[in-house]
Amino acid sequence: MPRSEPNNSVQTPMTSMAVTFKHVTVKLGGVLILDNVSASVPRGGCAAIVGPNGAGKTTMLMALLGQVPYWGNIMISDTPGDRSPYIGYVPQRLQFDRGLPMTVMDFLVMGTQRIPLWMGVRALPRDWARALLSDVRADALERRLIGALSGGELQRVLLALALQQEPELLVLDEPAAGVDVQGEYLLCELLERLRRERGFTQLMVSHDLATVTHHATYVILLNRRVVAEGPPREVLTPENMSAVFGLHMGLADAHAMPGKKTACSASCCKEGGHD
Amino acid sequence: MIDLSPLYDLLYHFLPFDCLRARFMQQAMIGLLLIAPMTAAMGVQVINFKMAFFADAISHSAFAGVAMGLIFAVSPNWTMPLFGLVVGLAIMAMKRHSSLSSDTVIGVIFAAVMAFGLAIVSRNRSVARDLQRFLYGDILTIADAEVVSLAVLFIVIMAFQFLSYNRLLYISLNTVVAKAHRVRVAFYQYMFAGLLALVVMLSVWAVGVLLVTALLIVPAAAARNFARSIGAMFWWAMLVSVTSAVAGLLISAQDWARTATGPTVVLCGFLWFIVSYVFVMARRRLAQ
Repeated sequence: MPRSEPNNSVQTPMTSMAVTFKHVTVKLGGVLILDNVSASVPRGGCAAIVGPNGAGKTTMLMALLGQVPYWGNIMISDTPGDRSPYIGYVPQRLQFDRGLPMTVMDFLVMGTQRIPLWMGVRALPRDWARALLSDVRADALERRLIGALSGGELQRVLLALALQQEPELLVLDEPAAGVDVQGEYLLCELLERLRRERGFTQLMVSHDLATVTHHATYVILLNRRVVAEGPPREVLTPENMSAVFGLHMGLADAHAMPGKKTACSASCCKEGGHD
Repeated sequence: MIDLSPLYDLLYHFLPFDCLRARFMQQAMIGLLLIAPMTAAMGVQVINFKMAFFADAISHSAFAGVAMGLIFAVSPNWTMPLFGLVVGLAIMAMKRHSSLSSDTVIGVIFAAVMAFGLAIVSRNRSVARDLQRFLYGDILTIADAEVVSLAVLFIVIMAFQFLSYNRLLYISLNTVVAKAHRVRVAFYQYMFAGLLALVVMLSVWAVGVLLVTALLIVPAAAARNFARSIGAMFWWAMLVSVTSAVAGLLISAQDWARTATGPTVVLCGFLWFIVSYVFVMARRRLAQ
């Protein structure tokens, strides 16, 4: 059986790549999910894994997080010293008891406060949580119960929890799912700003090609194996898209912006080679 | 053996009820006052982890634990908790490493330990009486040695809760996020499973195999309704559990009641739950 001990198999080479997948193969229950995947995520950028349903996008993230056994090698760089890299992870959805009496403050303190929450919330962790909430533009949510949050609000809180790790690598699973177009656009702008400020590398899975073309600086087109990787313009060509999705999906629609904007204001777009 | 009589005298000093004059009642009260906070605290996480069925399986392995004692001619007081511990850790290991869903894993182990226990016990008529004791529990026959072992476990559990409450919460919300964020998920899961198994096994003395899950679930369920934060949930569970235990024992000793102690405690807890349910409904209506 393949092993997935992230502390053993994740090495730290000194390259400009934040994450490197080398010949990664995943089989679950005898089914080939990822077939000899080799790809790399450039440091400091916003990389997106794109592909149809069942392409193994989420599995690739799970392998990275050490949640599924795999053959091959996954290397994460950018870690000074011997410690394993700090990763922030934002799941697609959080399945929990909606009636759980847990406030957003509880949620953002549980990872930083050693003293049990039944002894109260200490000043230092509380101030830190408040700063994070304001970073993700969710200041007003502090006292709300997490079960009462909307999809978009919960996602911001999950993002705050991931940022609490002061991550070198921020991993997001379908950040656009469960959020409307406007919310998704705002989230991407927010992530863009945070990335500039904090200098982490962002890796996300997305099925939303509009988001990807406008916000990703690097795209890995996946369909159990890597079909193409590189800047969005070079990867999301009509030929590649119809090969993977089996439809005539060009980039025409992907240029439509919410709010009738003609250009995305995020600087990654300019970097990504847009006019 | 430590002399516990000053403790019992102290108890009678604070709770000068007529029915608490007898030594066996004092022992029972101390036993319950040790068990109730443990089940309340662990119950909060049992609810968060959705592990009620797990607790059920452990309690039913009490029979097999007794059977092990018969086979090896060791006191069941030792084999029962040990066997529960092994079963708890085994279920957790299978759950973590198998693709089967956890209720299937637990169901399989549940059936096996239950059948094993009953098969051995059925060969030996003399334990039939013991068997009934494990089914219904009998806190009134608790001895000093058992009170001491409960006290030791009490200290361990409270220390564990103090050190791990926040981490367990993290894990219960999402194991993948917790692990990515450097929480030692496996360590805490095994610790929790092992300690829960011990709490369940020692609580079998008080309320028996059939009702032990109630001690874990009912206070935490009521607390979930009352509380408005995760810290408050802990204290509400404590309050419900301890008051139910005290009231249950006192009521069961009254001439007009004369009910078995374990079920009376559980019924008191259920009353609390009804109150909490009404409370939630009222709050929801007010919010609208």
